[in-house]
Amino acid sequence: MFCVTPPELETKMNITKGGLVLFSANSNSSCMELSKKIAERLGVEMGKVQVYQEPNRETRVQIQESVRGKDVFIIQTISKDVNTTIMELLIMVYACKTSCAKSIIGVIPYFPYSKQCKMRKRGSIVSKLLASMMCKAGLTHLITMDLHQKEIQGFFNIPVDNLRASPFLLQYIQEEIPDYRNAVIVAKSPASAKRAQSFAERLRLGIAVIHGEAQDAESDLVDGRHSPPMVRSVAAIHPSLEIPMLIPKEKPPITVVGDVGGRIAIIVDDIIDDVDSFLAAAETLKERGAYKIFVMATHGLLSSDAPRLIEESAIDEVVVTNTIPHEVQKLQCPKIKTVDISMILSEAIRRIHNGESMSYLFRNIGLDD
Amino acid sequence: MPNIVLFSGSSHQDLSQRVADRLGLELGKVVTKKFSNQETSVEIGESVRGEDVYIIQSGCGEINDNLMELLIMINACKIASSSRVTAVIPCFPYARQDKKDKSRAPISAKLVANMLSVAGADHIITMDLHASQIQGFFDIPVDNLYAEPAVLQWIRENIAEWKNCIIVSPDAGGAKRVTSIADRLNVEFALIHKERKKANEVDRMVLVGDVKDRVAILVDDMADTCGTICHAADKLLSAGATKVYAILTHGIFSGPAISRINNAAFEAVVVTNTIPQEDKMKHCTKIQVIDISMILAEAIRRTHNGESVSYLFSHVPL
Repeated sequence: MFCVTPPELETKMNITKGGLVLFSANSNSSCMELSKKIAERLGVEMGKVQVYQEPNRETRVQIQESVRGKDVFIIQTISKDVNTTIMELLIMVYACKTSCAKSIIGVIPYFPYSKQCKMRKRGSIVSKLLASMMCKAGLTHLITMDLHQKEIQGFFNIPVDNLRASPFLLQYIQEEIPDYRNAVIVAKSPASAKRAQSFAERLRLGIAVIHGEAQDAESDLVDGRHSPPMVRSVAAIHPSLEIPMLIPKEKPPITVVGDVGGRIAIIVDDIIDDVDSFLAAAETLKERGAYKIFVMATHGLLSSDAPRLIEESAIDEVVVTNTIPHEVQKLQCPKIKTVDISMILSEAIRRIHNGESMSYLFRNIGLDD
Repeated sequence: MPNIVLFSGSSHQDLSQRVADRLGLELGKVVTKKFSNQETSVEIGESVRGEDVYIIQSGCGEINDNLMELLIMINACKIASSSRVTAVIPCFPYARQDKKDKSRAPISAKLVANMLSVAGADHIITMDLHASQIQGFFDIPVDNLYAEPAVLQWIRENIAEWKNCIIVSPDAGGAKRVTSIADRLNVEFALIHKERKKANEVDRMVLVGDVKDRVAILVDDMADTCGTICHAADKLLSAGATKVYAILTHGIFSGPAISRINNAAFEAVVVTNTIPQEDKMKHCTKIQVIDISMILAEAIRRTHNGESVSYLFSHVPL
């Protein structure tokens, strides 16, 4: 599973071949902003490649320069058409593999399907499936950012570098939010309390956690906690088997644990997709006396109506990074701000290509972040 | 039940016996011993050809020896033509090493998962995995059972004032687990948010939520050296909690845990018997045990009979 190339061999290979090729596997040109920025920072040209859809909607990839013996970095940002984006990536990875690339490193800042990383009833663990598919296609290394759950790294049989956007978001808080000293970091659901804590710790601020009916998207009701079912009627077949009964979960009213009165509330999370739960959280925070509400997240999917809803809501600012293109959403909603993270991605690419240590990129990162 | 054989590893004979009793089975004959060079030797003492084999082994005590023994037992059954081998691992070993949380950290849980699959396990039954994503480390079915129903029952039966209690998470990471229990009991929750510089080392703790004049119940999935929960107990008492209980699924209690619990102000520290607790109970009267053998037994029975779990949600069996 973990194979180590002897160092001498590595250097020899670098002498004979080497070189770095940067591809973007996106057919959609709006998704190429990030790859262009990374290429600029690295001072290299984007590799020549054509990715397009044939009339029958199949994806076709044509790589127009040699990759033999080279380190190929494939940057893929996830567009609205997520399944097509995945196919583009897989096809390009496989094309590079069959064309004798030395190593194929996927740069996928936002890992799609990462919320489906748990088994729910008979559900599939899609993240795992995707990880297996990527490994099978020939990926030898993956660079990603703020995985929804860090355990997803274990779904891969290849090294995964999970970079963090938090230093950039923290910098934004410190530089762009006046009076951030009077802020409190808010987790909009208990599941994101850990992230909130790691932000709060580094900013030396307090935390608050919201809990209640509005956020049921990741409820444990469906994750197999009831398996086997805890019903007393089981005893009808096996009188000896007495299993404690589980009463149905009551929908609790929204509660905020922690004090937000007279403070700036900064809600932190990893993904903003559907904004309903953020809006509900913002309403609650306003009621409890927070005078300004910021939302910070790494991945701004901002699907469907999100920009309009944010514009009309009590939220003052939504800060996301450019792991996912959201130019259109920004035009609809000036409250959305972007933090550029191309710097850390390009640095990671440079270090991996040169075989340097990556730990510098993880300095000041807490265990919980 | 026909075609079923239940084996017990040497880690937790008592639990295996309870499961066997519940199922009305005898434990299969197996001799595990060590050669003089400390290699583990396993002899399966009865035929398993075509049988549905269940091997119960918990990740506790001499973890590596027990893991090796389990792997060897799985492999022995597999190559002896059993039709299916299910490893029942109440406490999954190395579950805390489930992510690369710092540079060059190994994901040992994934390694263990691969080793179990390679040894020949066809199915895994476990309980309260440290992170449910560990299910995805396997390419075989994994049933992650929950001790929560048993915990809820214990709270209702043993804490008289449970309606006026508050469920507390000793760290932010456990907030979700805690809210799930708090919702089912219809009580409030609080959490302790701490600044920790290194693992297993506790710094400043901040309590978020109101515990004044209430019974505080600390809930977590495992307790190892107990530094965190003992500090948390002090914090809760100084914040005005009337009594403090701690409820944990896996009571590992290594190192100074027992003396820490003895010195701390717990009313009781409640754990399940996924790990043997008899010895520790002798040294610490505050430890109480919830039996979860019936949950494992029922899971084994259902798996063996190929019964649908969801069928029973909506139908009452005759």
